[in-house]
Amino acid sequence: MFSSANRMTNLRPCWLGLVLVPGARRVLRSNRRRQGCQRGVMEAVLGQVAELPALLAVSRSALVRDWDPPTLDRALEWARYFQHLHDRFRSRPQLRDALRRRLRRGEAGSPLSFRHLGGCSELLGLALLENRALPPAACRRLLQRLLQGEAGFELGRLAPLARRKAASYLLEGSALFPGKPGPRVCAEAGLLLCRLREDGREAGAALGWLGPVLEQLPQPRAFAVVAEALLRQGCGGGDGDSSAGGQAGGAEAGSVAGALLSWLLEDLHRFSACSLLLPGTLLASLAGRYAQLSRRYLDLLAEWGSHLLYDPLQGRWVKSRSEEAKLCWEELRERFGCLCQGSVQLREQTQAALKLLKARDGDFQVCGLSVWTDLLLEVEEDLRKKQSPNV
Amino acid sequence: MHCGMAQDTTVPKLNFKFWLDKAIEWGQATTLESQKDVCLHLPQLQEFLHQTYETLKHMNSIAAIQQFPLIGQLLGRLCWNPFVVGYDESQKTLMWCLCCLYSSEPQNPVELKANSWIRSLLCHLLSSSKWERIEAETSTFISALGYTSADYYCHLVENIVSSLVTELRENQFNELNIQERISVSRVNAVSLFCLPLITLPDLTPLLETLLLYHGGASKEILSSEFLEAVNDAVLKKKISLSESAIFSLWHRHLPSLESATLSLLDQLTSLQINSLEKVACVIKDSLLPQAASHPAIFRIVNEIFKNALLETDGAPEVMTIIQVFIQLFIQVQQNENKQHKFPLKAYFPHHHQPLVIALLRRPFELPSTHWLQHLKHISDTLKSIVEDTNVSSFADLYEIWFLVACFGEWLDIAAEQLMKAAVAPDALLWLLAFYYCPQNENQQRTQTMVESQAVYSRLMMLYNRTVLSFGDLQASVNNAADTEQCHTQCLITHLLTNFLLFSSGGHMIAQEFISHITETTDMSKEVCSLLIRTAYRIKHNGGENQRTVKLLNELLQKLAVEV
Repeated sequence: MFSSANRMTNLRPCWLGLVLVPGARRVLRSNRRRQGCQRGVMEAVLGQVAELPALLAVSRSALVRDWDPPTLDRALEWARYFQHLHDRFRSRPQLRDALRRRLRRGEAGSPLSFRHLGGCSELLGLALLENRALPPAACRRLLQRLLQGEAGFELGRLAPLARRKAASYLLEGSALFPGKPGPRVCAEAGLLLCRLREDGREAGAALGWLGPVLEQLPQPRAFAVVAEALLRQGCGGGDGDSSAGGQAGGAEAGSVAGALLSWLLEDLHRFSACSLLLPGTLLASLAGRYAQLSRRYLDLLAEWGSHLLYDPLQGRWVKSRSEEAKLCWEELRERFGCLCQGSVQLREQTQAALKLLKARDGDFQVCGLSVWTDLLLEVEEDLRKKQSPNV
Repeated sequence: MHCGMAQDTTVPKLNFKFWLDKAIEWGQATTLESQKDVCLHLPQLQEFLHQTYETLKHMNSIAAIQQFPLIGQLLGRLCWNPFVVGYDESQKTLMWCLCCLYSSEPQNPVELKANSWIRSLLCHLLSSSKWERIEAETSTFISALGYTSADYYCHLVENIVSSLVTELRENQFNELNIQERISVSRVNAVSLFCLPLITLPDLTPLLETLLLYHGGASKEILSSEFLEAVNDAVLKKKISLSESAIFSLWHRHLPSLESATLSLLDQLTSLQINSLEKVACVIKDSLLPQAASHPAIFRIVNEIFKNALLETDGAPEVMTIIQVFIQLFIQVQQNENKQHKFPLKAYFPHHHQPLVIALLRRPFELPSTHWLQHLKHISDTLKSIVEDTNVSSFADLYEIWFLVACFGEWLDIAAEQLMKAAVAPDALLWLLAFYYCPQNENQQRTQTMVESQAVYSRLMMLYNRTVLSFGDLQASVNNAADTEQCHTQCLITHLLTNFLLFSSGGHMIAQEFISHITETTDMSKEVCSLLIRTAYRIKHNGGENQRTVKLLNELLQKLAVEV
């Protein structure tokens, strides 16, 4: 939080200017005027909303050291005002989108959204609480307003917050969650999905902020979260069509999945890193749901497989010394195995891909000549065993 | 010395030393012993914190620290104990106390340090704590999305709960796979961890799953502290669980069932009963009649009622409550799916089955013309059991008597039929005599029978007179007033009241005569109970003439005023 404030070297304190001007709030009441003025009013509102990023940034910066209790009050009032805007415009798509566009017009890749308006009171309150630069008198005022429910500021969700935090501490250790992503990853995925869904059908818009936001997490975590989000989205959550067993196109599952897939697949290095970090079973599940992903994944596996060499002395396939060789034989085999345990379509797609690769290599039937021949043999052996387990 | 006595002596002593010692002992509640101990003390601790806050809010921070020097240490330790923070409203009070101690104008480094420390504690409670590395990773991500820790923990707890629920349910049906079996001690631990969180709505699915969880072990897996706390929350209506979860709770934890039954009795006896509708409503809400579909539960509730009746010396209010309960219980049984019915013997193991069957017939199931016959059957069956030499001990006799008394509807109808039927068999009077005087070692019952027979005959002679004076009636029953036997008095009062309600001449003098009874004898409670029961019965079964209904309402109104 402090780092993001430091990045803004030329902080315009203009929202402070707005705050200090007594007449600022009167703009709200001019709603009663007619047409031409309404546009003017809307522009005024948009102008105010544009100050939100600065407000949040200031609340996290050292600039708050000059705040006295009345200033704090005003900041909290602004937060309430923004929240009020959010509540009013939530069900009015055109106005909502206008606000959203205005917020995005700020810094490049600024992830502020309509959502930020809605959570403003809490965001601001908690940010100020953590900001050590806030002087005691203002802090005292903050505590009173945050926690003691004075003057309409809700204690609301803060008591349950502390309670839930204690609950998670008590119970998290108890559950084993075998083979599944932990509850934290699920929670983060859930929130990511909520945010994406709030943005609605604006697929393009998401790309602007998704990257920078996901960068806040360390890479392995980011991949786990995106994978979990994709799984949930593909399971018939959200925008309509739940692809039954087949491979849904990202676009159909809504722009939500589309945005996530774009992020995952657009950069080859990123997708490569992801495929290395995530377990084969998880990737197979994703491949089963998303056609674009299964294609790219198979391509990637093909690439990695091509760097395996047969060592006749050891009688097995080993990684070549090249940096491109990421997976060893066992791992590659496991990956293909997982893919074949998926849906019928996925299995057939995988087998077809292997056959094609085998054919390109020369269509050898004997082991030890083409890695694809050997893989195909093993995979088909597994499938036979599965079908008649008595053998 | 450090008890923190306030200047004002009306403020209760705040025992900081005690609680600080406890908090140190508990540490962060990592051992089973410390966890159980915390759970035991949670309600008192909450009360203490509340009182502390009430005291603190009138003081400024400097004065507070001077007066309660241990408060800082105590609050600090408590904020790090998840059991305390998770419980009910303790977290609110902790935060408010911290706010009170925050100084808006720190004068010296010590105060500055205190302020800083308070903020750290609040940060720990509310959002990301710099000390918890896991938090730091995700907090920037969450706030970049536009959410706060409030949203995050909402989702997190939801996920943890559904994960645990899934695991427990899968394990239940997965008994063959021993490797994946969740250990008994782990389930026990989970139940204990849930204790402070019982009133958090997010936890309800987990509570239900735990209550319905049967690990196959013969001993109870769930922690008894947990079960008790859940029961308490249910009885105080702080949470609402599904019926099957509540029944499972009562089934597996006897103290909870006892507590629920006694609580029901308390609730009802403190009500001003002037109509059984309210009683029936309260009983139905308690879910005990429904739970009693499980024979084990029914038998225990029955025992508790039996004891309650003994302890109150057969108080008519308690008897009425029990009778309504049994009626509701039967209703539930009849409404339920026939597939799951248990055999009758499961509910009434020690009783003569034909008698039980006869008593279980609801009056409205038979045409009223058959009632005499049915009552005679009940009476004869009962008589043959009672006059059997095996029934000698008081305990046995009480058992049989209690069974009959529970089905008070039939007894009331017997008394009514004695009035209304053209010729009523002696058996009916015998039945009532048994109810009011079960013992007969010294021929008490026989005596009662004889005396009441005499009164009954005289009443029958007056029954068809359309005009009756107070004096006439008085004269007829004069001997009854002289009897010293309480049982006989009760029976005669019962007959008299019915006479007044149902005879043509009795109506006009009913008010007067009943006032006379209530004033000159101590039968007022009996009369009141009888009128209330009769009103309830008529309302539900109908078939009574308007005159009687009107009279009944008037009498009840007058009694309600007098009480």
